[in-house]
Amino acid sequence: MDMEALRQDIATRLAAGLETEVWPRAGTSEEVNAIVRRLQVEAGDDLVKKLVISGFTDHTIEAEDMPQPCETCMYYKVHARFCDLPELMLPVEPEWSCRLWRI
Amino acid sequence: MANLLWLQGGACSGNTMSFLNAEEPSACDLVTDFGINILWQPSLGLELGDNVKTILQKCISGEIKLDIFVFEGTVINAPNGTGEWNRFCGRPMKEWVKELSDAADFVVAIGDCATYGGIPAMAPNPTESVGMQFLKRAKGGSLGAGFKSKSGLPVINIPGCPAHPDWVTQILVAVATGRAGDLTLDEFHRPKTFFSSFTQTGCTRNMHFAYKVSTTAFGQRKGCLFYDLGCRGPMTHSPCNRILWNRHSSKTRAGMPCLGCTEPEFPFFDLNPGTVFKTQTVMGVPKDMPTGVDKVGYIKLTAAAKGMAPAWAEEDIFVV
Repeated sequence: MDMEALRQDIATRLAAGLETEVWPRAGTSEEVNAIVRRLQVEAGDDLVKKLVISGFTDHTIEAEDMPQPCETCMYYKVHARFCDLPELMLPVEPEWSCRLWRI
Repeated sequence: MANLLWLQGGACSGNTMSFLNAEEPSACDLVTDFGINILWQPSLGLELGDNVKTILQKCISGEIKLDIFVFEGTVINAPNGTGEWNRFCGRPMKEWVKELSDAADFVVAIGDCATYGGIPAMAPNPTESVGMQFLKRAKGGSLGAGFKSKSGLPVINIPGCPAHPDWVTQILVAVATGRAGDLTLDEFHRPKTFFSSFTQTGCTRNMHFAYKVSTTAFGQRKGCLFYDLGCRGPMTHSPCNRILWNRHSSKTRAGMPCLGCTEPEFPFFDLNPGTVFKTQTVMGVPKDMPTGVDKVGYIKLTAAAKGMAPAWAEEDIFVV
């Protein structure tokens, strides 16, 4: 599947109500590490598990008065519209969000 | 001719190894070209046992003028403040350190252990290690906050794990050739000539820092190591990217995050699992900001810079 098709596939799943672990956000480095470990152990290459564990949404989530869109995340590649976190490596949209957001 | 004596306390000899790799000037050049007479050094000294002790005693008595006393490694106080865990020439090393420091014109602490306590002094510090005049950020250390050598200077701290050979040789040459007056020290007694700029100064990844493109795994030549891999380059004072290692590289240039080894807190977070090579964050924002940058400014700058990032910044432009 090419990147555009995969992006559309993810968008469709999220719009259809795929329930993901949006909360709690990864507040501390320990929580980040725990989620990343789950991605490595439980998700592997399984797209749905990646989306669920990382708490994907097709809209921006705000946590502690801070919007957390992919657009400002350190793992986001602006021109490719791509999440570069090694455990995700997924095409995304700038207004999407996940709980591994970091700036 | 300036007499130099070099001793080691709680050390791995890393700073001696670094010093012996010096070039322009080399350790030999210090002797032949700059008039430094090395009275004794753990890896160079020919004397053993009582003959070493005799040298030390003559330095303390003044029979041998001690111009420069160099100390590498922590001053060990265990057990119970006695220093008996680190005996040298028949007595605790801490006692030699005190008396030799009082006798010397200049005292130079080399490496993070001698300056601030380094790895041996991290919790729970079983050896009760301290630096010469600091324990981490706290003034005091083994010699006390008010210590000054005969020259009127406090201990000159050359931190690093290890210290770069040029930092060592250039300071020794300055002192030995009567140019100590040119030295200005910062609040942690580091020579400002080396420790005013940052490790990031001169880093080849600075353009990726500017456009907020992160390295996400070891081995990548693109991206900045600060955002994800725990690099402390933007808040560590050192010239590692100005005075290159082995004359051609540095940790960050080679893809290795700066560990902040010239700062008093090194090793950061006491090396707790998950803290090494991983940027510590609170709700997605780095816990330690680049020096002088606040959280609000950082977030604004990052959002703006990321939006402006050119496409090339996201690619590996170093691929041939």
